[in-house]
Amino acid sequence: MATSPTQKLLQTPLHSCHQAAGAKLVPFAGWEMPLDYGSILGEARAVRASAGVFDVSHMARFWFRGPSAAVELDHALGGCVTDIAVGKARYSMLLQEDGGILDDLITYRTAEDAFFMVVNASNRDRDRDHLVSRLTDTVFEDITEDGGGILALQGPAAVKILQQLTGIDDLAPGFLDLAWPQSPFGELFIARTGYTGELGFEIFVTAKQAVPVWNRLLELGVHPVGLGARDVLRLEAGLALYGHEIHEAINPFEAGLGFAVRGWKTRNFIGGEALRNAAEASRVLVGFTAEKRVPREGYPVLCDGVEVGVICSGIYSATLDLPIATAYVQKGAVGAFTVSARGKEFPVQLAELPFVPHRSRG
Amino acid sequence: MRPSDRSYLESHEWAKLDGDVVTVGITDFAVEQLGELVYLDLPSVGDSVSSGDAFGEVESVKAVSDLNSPVDGEIVAVNDGLADELDALQTAPMAGGWLIQVRVSGADAMDGMLDAAAYEELVVAQS
Repeated sequence: MATSPTQKLLQTPLHSCHQAAGAKLVPFAGWEMPLDYGSILGEARAVRASAGVFDVSHMARFWFRGPSAAVELDHALGGCVTDIAVGKARYSMLLQEDGGILDDLITYRTAEDAFFMVVNASNRDRDRDHLVSRLTDTVFEDITEDGGGILALQGPAAVKILQQLTGIDDLAPGFLDLAWPQSPFGELFIARTGYTGELGFEIFVTAKQAVPVWNRLLELGVHPVGLGARDVLRLEAGLALYGHEIHEAINPFEAGLGFAVRGWKTRNFIGGEALRNAAEASRVLVGFTAEKRVPREGYPVLCDGVEVGVICSGIYSATLDLPIATAYVQKGAVGAFTVSARGKEFPVQLAELPFVPHRSRG
Repeated sequence: MRPSDRSYLESHEWAKLDGDVVTVGITDFAVEQLGELVYLDLPSVGDSVSSGDAFGEVESVKAVSDLNSPVDGEIVAVNDGLADELDALQTAPMAGGWLIQVRVSGADAMDGMLDAAAYEELVVAQS
């Protein structure tokens, strides 16, 4: 996300930690964020092999409270909210009336009448405006700039690391569970969620907890991982990114994310009517691999020489050691696929999504 | 400061004149900005290049960039193995990671490029 140089960039509570760790800091959605700590591919491989920690404190954090919160959010979001159990997280979406995707997000039910939500940093203001306009009696709070943040601990060693961090030997929250363990840093709010396809946790830290928790994770051998590797990992895992696989002109079914609007046939929610009346999708999200060149966002996709789609995201996969990409292509297109890269064509091969199998359910 | 035996472009290519042949590469600053390189596309011996036009592409994990020619002329040599041995470009872009050599006509081939001091100012400003 481009930011004009005159605009003052926001800093996360871990800014000095990133500098100390040798991060390349870049503007991202109005924040100064670590792109990498020296090696995007090395950081991605560390997450798959053991564990990494990402500072994702730029992501917007919202609270919704009140006896009407569940019912009102259920109408405001694409996914069902009323049946989220207390202590559970759920992936969902904010839709337009026409069913187009405004954002994807995770809702965390912390009590019968309290919901925490994390949305994309780039959509913070717009999401807030849409959500607030859709709620009547629910009390809304945006705590993104309260000095706290989010540390995403991801990788096969994450459970063991979490146990060492908290000093609780049998702490092992299940997939999408929330937990509030006591720790040397006080009570931590954690969720078994992530954006890498690996088993992992997101730790919601207060301003006081952020730096000591980060430092302790590094002491425990966790690798600091930047946004560059985060993009590699999420694309390897076939996880959608707003502005790429999902945006206003795409509905959840086209994106292969029907699970995010569970109950859509019968529930009353903004965008639901449009989804029920939507024609069958004419395009489908597919994965491609390539041999050497990376199929980049915006490159046209051709099938037997005829343009049938466009690349959404492309990056070099650290795990597969070859270029990977997602694209929307016309349904039923069969033949030899190529992409047109700045005037030159090169072949790409259809690949199953995700490119790297998920291990997040452990 | 970077070597004063060559000239620089604002787009972070370097060019070193030796007789009527200019060796062209990208700077260590360019490589640092690109990050880990994954692909290099170079032209062939005998191709013509024009000052300011792209003669190839270099790709990193995150992005693809044009390689811009600082001079007009004909390519007389290409660093052939480089595309398969990107480490040389990653670690020694000012030496063994050179890209192409171009035969130029006229001593003014390098006019308009930055000298090492001017390039240093640019790098500091962009760092």
